[in-house]
Amino acid sequence: MIENTVMLLIIVPLLFSLLFVALPKSLYKILAWALFILGAALSVNLVLDGTGVVQIGEPNFAMLENVVLILEVLVILFILAVSAKYKNWPTLGLGIISAAIFAYTFSNVPKVEGASFNIDQFSQVMILIVNIIGTAIILFATGYMDQYEEHRHLNRQKTFYFTMSFFLAAMNGLVMADTLGWLFLFWELTTLCSFVLISYNMDEEGINNGFRALALNLVGGIALSIGIILLATNNVSTLSGIGTYAGTNAAALAAVALPVALLCVGGFAKSAQMPFQSWLLGAMVAPTPVSALLHSSTMVNAGVFLVVKLVPAYAGTSLGTAIAVYGSFTFVMCSALALSQRNAKRVLAYSTIANLGLIIASAGIGTPLAVAAAIMLILFHAISKALLFLCTGEIEHTIGSRDIEDMSGLIKKAPLLTTLAALGMVSMLLPPFGVLLTKWVSMEAASSNPVVIVFLILGSALTTVYYAKWLGTILSSSMDKNAVPHKKLETYFPLSLLGLAIVVTSIFVFPIYDYFVKPQVDILLKAAPAISGLAGEFTTEIGAFTYIVIFVVLALAILIYLATKNMFTPRMSSYYMCGENNLERDRLMFRNGLCSYEKSSVSNIYLQNTFGESKLTTLGYAISIILIAIALLGGIGL
Amino acid sequence: MNMNDILTIVLVLIGAPILGCLASGIDRRITARLQGRVGPPILQPYYDVKKLLSKDNMIVNPSQNFYVIVYLVFIILSLLMLVFKQDFLMIIFVYTVASLALIVGGMSTGSPYARVGSSREIMAILSYEPVLILYALAIYLLTGTFKLTAVLDASSPLLIYTPLIFIAMIVVLNIKFKKSPFDYSTSHHGHQELVKGMTTEYGGPGFATIEIAHFYEYVFLTGLIFLFWASTPIIGVLIGILVYLLIIVIDNITARVYWQWMLKLSWSVLLIISIVNIAYLYYSQAKLV
Amino acid sequence: MSLAKSPWIIHVNVNSCNGCDIEVVACLTPLYDAERFGVLNIGTPKQADIMVVTGSVNYKSVNVLKNIYNQIPDPKVVLAVGACASTGGIFHDCYNVIGGVDQVIPVDAYVPGCCPRPEAILDGVVAALSILEEKKKGNIKGKEVKLKGNEVPSNA
Ligand code: SF4
Repeated sequence: MIENTVMLLIIVPLLFSLLFVALPKSLYKILAWALFILGAALSVNLVLDGTGVVQIGEPNFAMLENVVLILEVLVILFILAVSAKYKNWPTLGLGIISAAIFAYTFSNVPKVEGASFNIDQFSQVMILIVNIIGTAIILFATGYMDQYEEHRHLNRQKTFYFTMSFFLAAMNGLVMADTLGWLFLFWELTTLCSFVLISYNMDEEGINNGFRALALNLVGGIALSIGIILLATNNVSTLSGIGTYAGTNAAALAAVALPVALLCVGGFAKSAQMPFQSWLLGAMVAPTPVSALLHSSTMVNAGVFLVVKLVPAYAGTSLGTAIAVYGSFTFVMCSALALSQRNAKRVLAYSTIANLGLIIASAGIGTPLAVAAAIMLILFHAISKALLFLCTGEIEHTIGSRDIEDMSGLIKKAPLLTTLAALGMVSMLLPPFGVLLTKWVSMEAASSNPVVIVFLILGSALTTVYYAKWLGTILSSSMDKNAVPHKKLETYFPLSLLGLAIVVTSIFVFPIYDYFVKPQVDILLKAAPAISGLAGEFTTEIGAFTYIVIFVVLALAILIYLATKNMFTPRMSSYYMCGENNLERDRLMFRNGLCSYEKSSVSNIYLQNTFGESKLTTLGYAISIILIAIALLGGIGL
Repeated sequence: MNMNDILTIVLVLIGAPILGCLASGIDRRITARLQGRVGPPILQPYYDVKKLLSKDNMIVNPSQNFYVIVYLVFIILSLLMLVFKQDFLMIIFVYTVASLALIVGGMSTGSPYARVGSSREIMAILSYEPVLILYALAIYLLTGTFKLTAVLDASSPLLIYTPLIFIAMIVVLNIKFKKSPFDYSTSHHGHQELVKGMTTEYGGPGFATIEIAHFYEYVFLTGLIFLFWASTPIIGVLIGILVYLLIIVIDNITARVYWQWMLKLSWSVLLIISIVNIAYLYYSQAKLV
Repeated sequence: MSLAKSPWIIHVNVNSCNGCDIEVVACLTPLYDAERFGVLNIGTPKQADIMVVTGSVNYKSVNVLKNIYNQIPDPKVVLAVGACASTGGIFHDCYNVIGGVDQVIPVDAYVPGCCPRPEAILDGVVAALSILEEKKKGNIKGKEVKLKGNEVPSNA
């Protein structure tokens, strides 16, 4: 049963990617709906199948292993070919190093006898994210890409949909694979998809940013492959095996420390953590569905997925502390950088990096509570961020800009879209929604480590600020830009679905925790977090979060509002502009001293001089590289 | 939920605004005296609210009053959570909802004055929120839990372990009360260079809601100070009152500063002294008994 | 009685020589302390009850006056302070002056004087208060004053 589902999860998206190539553009909508329904059904099916390990033995294994080898060679050849074609020498160099490592692995490292897929609750969560959110994003793309290409005079939709569904297959493989060799293949495949999609526009900016992403991810990939080779010398060839091996005795724990640190560096690169963050920012040139799918809710999560899976190998060690400090540092640094950004996609990109940093920090703390927080944050963050990215894309199509200041007054022009975007933002920073709840859990868990908690506190205040600015701007009622909202089912269905998912997952956070997270933490750390939940309360050993009360109060507020709305004879009036309003043309215009009219304009505070990229990025690079070096040195045991 | 709890809730719902109203009246009275005036009656804030409720509901935007209702109910919720000794970190987050609701309410009116006020208030969040959470952290380090039960059950006061955070909290209260020198988001009566800041477009019942919420907020914020000496409630209340009076005095003897100053003050002085205090707690392993 | 205990005023200067304004502000000083009666000088019309107008109306300020009048929620009263606001005062035959405030918006009470003493202004406020109460009782609403564009010369 479960074998079939696992195989289908990889094969179906592959099949669809071929269908997208084979069939004409007019059928894409139907294909996307079909993919969405199939993806949702399959992932739910996988959850229903339960957990388990799928062994691939002879004779299938030999065949599949050859496929994997061929694919790996192809990946490397592809990298070498494109980097040579575009004369991108750093990437070429990194490609050659990868090739050398591959050759070394092929000739020197003992072959494994079988491969396995390990379906645990964490994989289930990731599969749900990838296959429901991911396919919903592809569905959204069918309503988005036509207009996108029209603006940019492109006609590459076949490439787009092919890569997107191919990516889903790779991602599904990545989160289920247990054999490190296979995991590495899927890892590199997602990197490639990301490269193709970032350089989708085929202009100079796109290609440069694509290569930056490729190069930085290759660095991560190299770290990963060295880690895998080192692990192979200890006869560890599976992801779950690392934890088991590290758990045997202290010597084993010390032996795997360096490879684990290297694997984590690979994860950091994939998750665009601090010294690698530039690729994710560059990746924002890609079409918004790509940002939503690869660069916020799934692919970048692969990095933290790996880091969390490695928890048993570093929980409680100094390596774990280093990882926690590193993650929380990225959190505060990227939150500060997000504060100075006006470009909505860059804000979201920084916010993504920051939240992934928070996940890494929680994983690094390594207590059951913190690891539970990390896993839940992956889920909630993926939903909220996917919604926010898609909303930004749609806003861009509505007003023709992605500058936050231009979005003021959006609520007047596109109320539903704005409400959904506002829901996404609120869910990122306010109770009772999931992201805040998990942030709360991780803060409580981190409170034993003074450095980490101070970073988390600062970062969380900064997060509140940059989202508050944006939230206030879109909800304000003064409109500057012309806006043309278009109501398309394939646009609004994914948006509403994600919005609904935010609310539902936040309401049912305890069952979700109980079903998915608790057993997983049990597997990872052999100890369940001391979290209990009674009637809408989330109680840890050091605190309690009664989220249900907040839902009730929120509902109450809405009720009071509706009840009192007409109690006090409402009367509309104009803004107070010292009486100098222009009531005919634009209510935000005022009369100046020369009796002509001028527009008032207000902008938010961005603190460019304190938190600007030029001020903070270098500092961020320096400190984060030092922190990674410390982690690696700690791994060697110095 | 037993009879006692319900009674407490009702008591808080009714008692807090009365207290807050009196406090606000006393504030205006003292301010007047400090300026050599007689000042309004103590019950003046009550008359104001009553009057505002009897006025027309003039709005620029149909949803603007929704945000102030959210502000009001979440202030009440955070006060109730404080009274019921809930998780302190959680209380701060709930309180953030309230603050943000008011800011978004100001922004939502779209008036330039309100938007300038709101963006300044957002900067105020940046200044005080870290200090508040550090306060929560201090409570955790001292009691081993974020729940306030431990603080209220302890026999020794919090203040002797957290003097620096106490100082920082006074400034935080100053920012939160929107009193001079940090009164730039909703300028008070005399000073109108931003008209009324965030609340420029609110009038009648909407503004009355904001005023009532302020009454609850006064009690809530003074409650945070009360926690510093909760072991002997009388002293706690006294400290709360003293800090409140101190803030009124500061209000009257200082001029408004730029918001940049506040940010600098907060991130350089307040944060540092709070972190020093936290570091002391962490290394001395002091525990509240 | 609720209105009379907390009259919040908005002070509008439409074309005053500033003499009246200084006297209005003097009401708030410790000597006269209008806040004794709950009077607050509030900045925004949305929260005001009493509109205190000083100066005669001219073509440039007429729309400002009307706009602000329209933005005060009912019940509201208008208090014309000074000779100028009441009749046009010494500026009444100036080329750009329309006249007293009552030429443009309904005025409920007048305070004579050039400039009136603060006591007189406070007296006017108290007189306005009883009118305010009556308006509340009778549920009398101020009419929305129409802005006429031609009152503003295109480039005065
Ligand atoms: S009444 Fe007299 S003091 Fe008042 S504005 Fe007119 S001229 Fe000036």
